[in-house]
Amino acid sequence: PQANLIFIASLLLGTTITISSNHWITAWMGLEINTLAILPLISKSHHPRAIEAATKYFLTQAAASTLVLFSSMTNAWCTGQWDITQLTHPTSCLILTSAVAMKLGLVPFHFWFPEVLQGSPLTTGLLLSTIMKLPPITLLYMTSPSLNPTLLTTLAIFSTALGGWMGLNQTQVRKILAFSSISHLGWMAIIIIYNPKLTLLNFYLYTMMTAAVFLTLNTIKVLKLSTLMTAWTKIPSLNAMLLLTLLSLAGLPPLTGFLPKWLIIQELTKQDMAPAAMLISLLSLLSLFFYLRLAYCTAITLPPHTTNHMKQWRTNKPTNITIAMLIT
Amino acid sequence: MALAVMLLDGASFHSACCRHKVLLSSLGPLLSNSKLYSSYRRPGAEPEKKLSWQNADFSLKKSIDHLKTHLSLLKKETQDYLKGPGGNPLSQHLLEQTRVLWQFRSQEDLNKWVISSDVEIGGKSKVYIKLGRNNQAAVLYGTLNTEVPRDGETKYSGYCSMKSRPEVGSFNRKKYYDWSNFNSLYLRVRGDGRPWMVNIYTDPYFSHQKDDLYSYFMFTRGGPYWEEITIPFSKFFLSSRGRVQDNQHPVWLDKVRTLGFTIGDKVDGPFQLEIDFIGLLNDRAHKEKFAYEVYDKNTPV
Repeated sequence: PQANLIFIASLLLGTTITISSNHWITAWMGLEINTLAILPLISKSHHPRAIEAATKYFLTQAAASTLVLFSSMTNAWCTGQWDITQLTHPTSCLILTSAVAMKLGLVPFHFWFPEVLQGSPLTTGLLLSTIMKLPPITLLYMTSPSLNPTLLTTLAIFSTALGGWMGLNQTQVRKILAFSSISHLGWMAIIIIYNPKLTLLNFYLYTMMTAAVFLTLNTIKVLKLSTLMTAWTKIPSLNAMLLLTLLSLAGLPPLTGFLPKWLIIQELTKQDMAPAAMLISLLSLLSLFFYLRLAYCTAITLPPHTTNHMKQWRTNKPTNITIAMLIT
Repeated sequence: MALAVMLLDGASFHSACCRHKVLLSSLGPLLSNSKLYSSYRRPGAEPEKKLSWQNADFSLKKSIDHLKTHLSLLKKETQDYLKGPGGNPLSQHLLEQTRVLWQFRSQEDLNKWVISSDVEIGGKSKVYIKLGRNNQAAVLYGTLNTEVPRDGETKYSGYCSMKSRPEVGSFNRKKYYDWSNFNSLYLRVRGDGRPWMVNIYTDPYFSHQKDDLYSYFMFTRGGPYWEEITIPFSKFFLSSRGRVQDNQHPVWLDKVRTLGFTIGDKVDGPFQLEIDFIGLLNDRAHKEKFAYEVYDKNTPV
């Protein structure tokens, strides 16, 4: 009830602190406030799986925050200053990159992400995928001139590969969204050295599309693929918008999701990294497969049996409709 | 052994004899090659003749065979992964309304289950499992004996159970069942009128939750006719180490590890349960989400 307000306010506070900071301590503080504020939201339902998800989340994020602090301390030891944009020592950059990879869920540190998203309710999953990604991406944005390009490119390519590959067989919708998040983060990470503004553009568009998907799924109360198939009876117009939003997430051309991918590929070829561009676009074909499968289940097939949902919704939440409208 | 030698050397340096004797008497348990800690062996457990580290087998051929088996399992898993969820095509996953999990037609079907009874805490119940007539069912039979073992700390006794072996993938990783498409358990059994308890174990990641078990009762009729019992998953309640918890929530079916049947109805005597098959059903007419109250019952007024 009112506790919700406190948690959301703390989340916004933590995010704002990190984004607007120019000293590492305030950035770290914002990250910690974010972690602690979202923990009760994940474990709200007191189910053992939710508590397990909250524990996993806390452990990984706390470890990542420690690494952030450690990298800033080594930098301060070597260069004598705590400014975020002046992270010049290479070891510090390396440790910071791995810490932010842990926070975001990039590849070698992505194992927590699907489980945590599966254990949390859908709205909290939305918060986890969008708002919690903003501070680490801001940190990368501010330190991007001095980050190690090879490491980031490797992480990005493996993220796209793994996000696509592991999402292939999932039937739980939240895990699919987790893997889609991982592959989008791969796209965001690959371009951050060369043109960080494209990373931010990708992030904003991804946030809007994912918010639309999560809110739609929350309205029709769908948690697995088989429920998705019979959800068209509830709000048919919303179903059509969900189809378009999913295809936009996949990056198909006439829809908005194609824009960041196109610009990223263009920038990569300009920077003489054409093989990387080719690799990353081929790997996003894998994630296209499961987006198409979601879209197929949502809108194109008609199941042979009828539904037995408890309530037919008469009211709908207008917010996600506007978001979905904004996208396409 | 090296410790004993060192202590003996230390003892020989000191010439006081009473200290020597004390040291030798304390070295007694060390020298007798038993465990260095005291442990109480429960009456039903057998004494350990070989220590666990002596069982390791270091032959190269066996390890290469083991590796080959696991690699082939891994290859099969990858192929199943490419086919679709659970190794079956997606259309089957989306359209299926029933699924047979365990069918008892041969000895290897019986080997997928483990039987146990209160012999492990020192009780006297007996339980056996065999294939029934014409290989059509599994018969779980035995005798319950509620006599409490006399070890001073056990208060109740008399239970027998049958649990499915947890599935193990390549390289001994844990495999879980995904039953999220279904909402009831469907059993074809022929009992003898005694009530059984059906338990679902979802092996959790963290060990502090490892005792939580979702259970419900199965009341058998006993007649010569086969019964088809449907138990919806919404009725399973949560218990941990045998105590029913206050905070109840429905069982999440996407990571189930084992299913088990237990009899423990405090009545001495023989019991028998024949099971034909165990399956899952998606009962479209069953609309209940959860049978127990979820809201907080202990709020201070």
